[in-house]
Amino acid sequence: MSFAETILDYAVNIALVILSISFILTIIRIVRGPTLPDRILGLDMLVAAAIGFIAVIGIKTGYILYIDIAIALGLVGFLATVAFARFVLSRGKTEDELLREAKTAAEAARKKSRDEEKRVAKALKREKRLSR
Amino acid sequence: MIDDFITLLSAAFVLIGAFFALVASIGLLRLPDLYSRMHAASKAGTMGSGLMLIALAVHAADSGVFARALAGVVFFLLTAPISAHLLAKAAYAVGYRLGPSAVRDEMAGQDTENPR
Amino acid sequence: MSLFLVNVLLALAWAAVTGSFTFLNLAFGFVLAMGTLSLIREQVGSVGYFSRARRVISLFLLFIYELILSAWRVATLVLSPRMDLKPGIFAYPLKVDRDFEITLLANLITLTPGTLSVDVSSDRRTLYVHAIDASNPEQTRRDIAEGFERKIMEAFR
Repeated sequence: MSFAETILDYAVNIALVILSISFILTIIRIVRGPTLPDRILGLDMLVAAAIGFIAVIGIKTGYILYIDIAIALGLVGFLATVAFARFVLSRGKTEDELLREAKTAAEAARKKSRDEEKRVAKALKREKRLSR
Repeated sequence: MIDDFITLLSAAFVLIGAFFALVASIGLLRLPDLYSRMHAASKAGTMGSGLMLIALAVHAADSGVFARALAGVVFFLLTAPISAHLLAKAAYAVGYRLGPSAVRDEMAGQDTENPR
Repeated sequence: MSLFLVNVLLALAWAAVTGSFTFLNLAFGFVLAMGTLSLIREQVGSVGYFSRARRVISLFLLFIYELILSAWRVATLVLSPRMDLKPGIFAYPLKVDRDFEITLLANLITLTPGTLSVDVSSDRRTLYVHAIDASNPEQTRRDIAEGFERKIMEAFR
């Protein structure tokens, strides 16, 4: 093994470590959110990091075929991001709006169930009085 | 001699590419709002994966592989801004606003196409 | 455009004569054909073709340079311990009006330092650009107008 190949070997291992760290950081962003577009952006970045991973593994193992896999993954990642962007557009609401809607719906449901309880209690009372 | 040079070149590309991927993910984590994060992902991210693809092609030292890698890099350079643009447009149209540190927003209340 | 076709045909002829249709040989043939055409540019009237090719290539080189610069700018910004950003969206009045040119300009803006195109107004006159440092939009507007937009107009008009 020549000197240059030793250096390449070290470089590939260091790159794998760096890419793993970048993977983890991106996943932290995906988990943390806070909004849907943030998560989509994280997924997009994850695809870019995965392409890098595949290329580095291709160098490490010497299988040149990995380059086709990387290009195909790039294609799929682009289409996925476009589809997600359409999804954001067609959902048409931000998280805050969804939260507010959920809150008002929950409030209405609670009020309704309280009314229902009151009505049932009244009916029960009347039943008792009649049976006596 | 030339082989050594090619090997060192691909080692350099791998390291620089990995560095930019790391920078992109740190930016994704540290920048304050959605639109600023897009800067990190669309520039440094593309740069990182493109450089690593070129490193693989340089290492292979085969003209067919090199052509495919070049096509892949051009493809990434074309699609990365499009996906960032689509996502930003969709997010803005839906109502995700700029973060609290924003100094101006000349797009607010403007007439833009909104294909829903 | 027809001169480009002649150029490609000459490259194919080179590949046929040398008997190898590899990518490298085709590219070499293309460069050779370009050299041949440049020798007879006065006779066939391909002076415009060459100046246009030079402008397209200079646009491409500018793009590569700006891409590297922008990745580097993002890197220094992200790795600096204290980030005080002034992000914002500003309107950019477009001078180019063909769809193809607007698309190219929007893509180039996205891949250059600190700017990201967000939307185009429905009358195609204004491009909304998100800048990571929007404290001085006049400066940024002037940079785009004198950099990419001028180059695009030179290369494709």
